[in-house]
Amino acid sequence: MKRVAIVIGAGSVKCAAALGMWKVLRREGIDLDMVVGCSGGSIYAGVMALGYDPETCERLTRELWTPKVTMRRDWRSMLGAFLPKVFGFDGSLGMVHDGPLLEALEPPFGGRTFEEAAIPLHIVATDLHDGGKVVLNRGSVRDAVRASIAIPYVWKPWRIGDRWLLDGCLSDPLPVDVAIREGADVILAMGFESPYPRRIKSATRYAFQVNSIYTNNLLRANYSFHNLAHHAEIIPMLPDFEREIRLFDTDQFPYVIECGARAMEAQLDYLHRLLESPEPAGA
Amino acid sequence: MDIRIQPRGDIAVVAITGSVDGLTAETLLSTLQGHVQAGHARLVVDLDGVDYTSSAGLRALLATVKEARRRGGDLRLARINPNVRKVLELSGFVTILKCFEGVDEAVDSFAP
Repeated sequence: MKRVAIVIGAGSVKCAAALGMWKVLRREGIDLDMVVGCSGGSIYAGVMALGYDPETCERLTRELWTPKVTMRRDWRSMLGAFLPKVFGFDGSLGMVHDGPLLEALEPPFGGRTFEEAAIPLHIVATDLHDGGKVVLNRGSVRDAVRASIAIPYVWKPWRIGDRWLLDGCLSDPLPVDVAIREGADVILAMGFESPYPRRIKSATRYAFQVNSIYTNNLLRANYSFHNLAHHAEIIPMLPDFEREIRLFDTDQFPYVIECGARAMEAQLDYLHRLLESPEPAGA
Repeated sequence: MDIRIQPRGDIAVVAITGSVDGLTAETLLSTLQGHVQAGHARLVVDLDGVDYTSSAGLRALLATVKEARRRGGDLRLARINPNVRKVLELSGFVTILKCFEGVDEAVDSFAP
C-alpha cells in the first residue's frame, strides 16, 4: 500500500487551493497518511489534519486570515529596534502586534494538539538562532502555526520550548523532504511562488517583498533538489490562477479552492493508476 | 506514453506524447539511454505532446542529459507546453538545459 502525503507550501490565501485538492481526494476515497504544512500552508494543513470537514475548514480559515491580523502596529518592538539605547532591543523585530493574530488562531487551533489529529500532521518553522528547519509534530497546534507564519519583520518569532521560531518558508517553502522522511511514497506537493506587488507602499509591504525574493529562490532550489535526490514520486500541484490573488483576498476563496480542485482533477487518473500499480511509486 | 525517434543528420529528434511520470519514466529512460549508449549523444526532445511531468520524469531527463554530455553530446528541449514549463522552471531545469521554441531551432543549435 503506497503512503500518500499532501505538502502545502507557503502562499497565504493561495494555500486555500489545498482544500479543493482535498475535496477531490475525499470524493475519490483516497486517504491521506500525513499532511505537511509550511507558513500559510500550515493553517490549511492544520485544519485538515484536525478533522474538520472541508466546508468548516473553509469557514475557519476565511475568518482567520483577514486584514485585521496585520492592522495593529507593535510600536514597542519598532521603538526597541530603531532606538535601542532608549527602549532596549530584545533580539527580534515585528512591526505588527501579534495579539489579533493569536486571537484569530484560537477558533480553529486553540487547545488542539498534534496528538489528537485525525491525520498525522507536521508543521515546519525555522530556528531563529541557527537557521535550521524545525519540524513540529507534538504539543500545541496553535503555537506551531503561529511559529510557522511568523513572517520576518512583520511578526516576532514565537517561542516553543527553548527555541525562537520564525516562518518555515525561510528554511523550506515547500518541505517535501519531511514527507519523504516520514515514509511517503506519493507526495502531492502544492507550492506557490510569492507574488511581487506592483507598488511597495509601506514598510510592511517592503518586508513582504524582500521575503518573497528569498522565498521564491529558495523554493526553486529546494524543490529541484528534492525532485532529483529522492525516489518518492512527487506530483507537482500547481494551480493555474488566471486572476491575481493578493495577500488578503479571502473573497477569492471559492475561486482559489476551485483552482485547487481543477489541478487535482487533472492528475487524478495518473494518481489512481499510480496507487493501483504494484511498481514502486517513483521508479 | 509514446516515443518516436527520428534522425536529423547526426541528431536524434525524440518526440514524446503523453505523460512523463512514475509509470512511464523507466521506459523513457531506457529508450533514451539506449540511444545515447549506441553512440547518438545529440538529442532534441520535442515535448509538444507532453502534458505533464512528475519527479520521476525529471530524473529520467536529467540522467539522460548527464550521459549525453559525458559522451560529448547534449539533450536539448523544444516545444515545451506551459504546464510542463512551469514544472521545469520550478525545478531549475530551464537553467541547466537549453530550451527552444521550435524543433528546427533546437537542431540548428548543435551546428558549430
